Amino acid sequence: MSITRHPDSAWLIDYACGNLSRGFELVVSAHVMACARCAEEVRCAERLGAELMLGSAPAPARLTASGIIDAEPRETAWLNGRPRLATQPAGASLQSFVDAYLDCGLSALPWRKAGRGLQIAKLRAEDDERLWVLRAAPNTVLPHHGHAGSELTLVLKGAYFNGDTIYAAGDLEDANETTEHQPIVTRDGECICLAATEGPLRFKSWPPRLAQRYLGI
Amino acid sequence: MNTPPDAAVDSAAIVPFPLDAGRPEGDDSASQETQLLLRVRDQRDRAAYQRLFDLFAGKVQGYLRRTGLDPADAENILQDIMLAVWQKARLFDAQRASARTWIFSLARNRLIDMKRSAKREYAALERFHQETADDQVYEEDMLARAAGSKSVALLSHLPPEQASVLLMAYVEGKSHREIALELNLPIGTVKSRARLGFQRVRGLLEQAS
Repeated sequence: MSITRHPDSAWLIDYACGNLSRGFELVVSAHVMACARCAEEVRCAERLGAELMLGSAPAPARLTASGIIDAEPRETAWLNGRPRLATQPAGASLQSFVDAYLDCGLSALPWRKAGRGLQIAKLRAEDDERLWVLRAAPNTVLPHHGHAGSELTLVLKGAYFNGDTIYAAGDLEDANETTEHQPIVTRDGECICLAATEGPLRFKSWPPRLAQRYLGI
Repeated sequence: MNTPPDAAVDSAAIVPFPLDAGRPEGDDSASQETQLLLRVRDQRDRAAYQRLFDLFAGKVQGYLRRTGLDPADAENILQDIMLAVWQKARLFDAQRASARTWIFSLARNRLIDMKRSAKREYAALERFHQETADDQVYEEDMLARAAGSKSVALLSHLPPEQASVLLMAYVEGKSHREIALELNLPIGTVKSRARLGFQRVRGLLEQAS
């Protein structure tokens, strides 16, 4: 897999700091697991975090090392404060992504038809954030749209065009309120993407606007 | 998604991405900390833990306080972190991270858990912001110099607007979207500041390795 489209450093810093909401964190983490370049950038961002932490002026605490050593175990579910991660979530290992993140098969997702050749399944909705899986047949032309906030789209399988840019498995498209686009799936096969969105999409034509209420996109 | 049981926690990496193997920190104190943590992990060495505790506890508490936690909440979280260092040391992989980076990731994950389980903004954070918003960069700079932190001192060499964005992300726990809203700046401007500042600091950190 050759990944050529990466998230901005600001996303990776937020990921390293734990500042992202769950949906965006999940999309970034899936990309980072598949992308050595971004994994290295996150590692550096964490290293900076460690240095900043150790640069803090010490504050007094009543704890003692011996008290900790002799303490009873406490709840440690927080250790796994990240989404569960597959070793190879993108591309050919779509199934491992599904196993790791969705706890069910693709066919078990709550699919809804969202236009010709396009199905969508909503995985999460929290505040104004949505997490989706999109599944589009070859040559599907998605509606031209803009955004009310950020949108991160990770290609899990297949590929799509945006203008003259192609996004293939493992690539991540970083869009926001300054971006308008119209993805077109390549003719080679179906395209499956994981997408986190903030706020409603802004469609340029009426049919998708009408469907928007029904689908909650 | 289901919450994985503790067994799953142990098999999952705490640092959830592939870190490059065996790269030395180049900083004697960082490698000494890692050696201490390996003695805790492999030999359950209480003296090594005592030294690690002395090196980290006060500074981690200071960091937690800077994020806006009150002393009692910070100490509760510090206890969880230092307990994990002792009880879950087997999860530490020196090939993937130094001790200090691992402990930072523990603090980060504990703070994520607190924010999500509480599902609320903690009020102290807001107080902290109001009290320090204007002097943030200069205060951090001063603290950094006082603590002799190499990389925080590096931050002080950044243009103030870049240092400020990085500090808001790292210390105040704000996403670049939240920073854009708070500073009333276009999202692209905040991303550029974060990216340029981070690139500069990253270069300096790598030089130090």
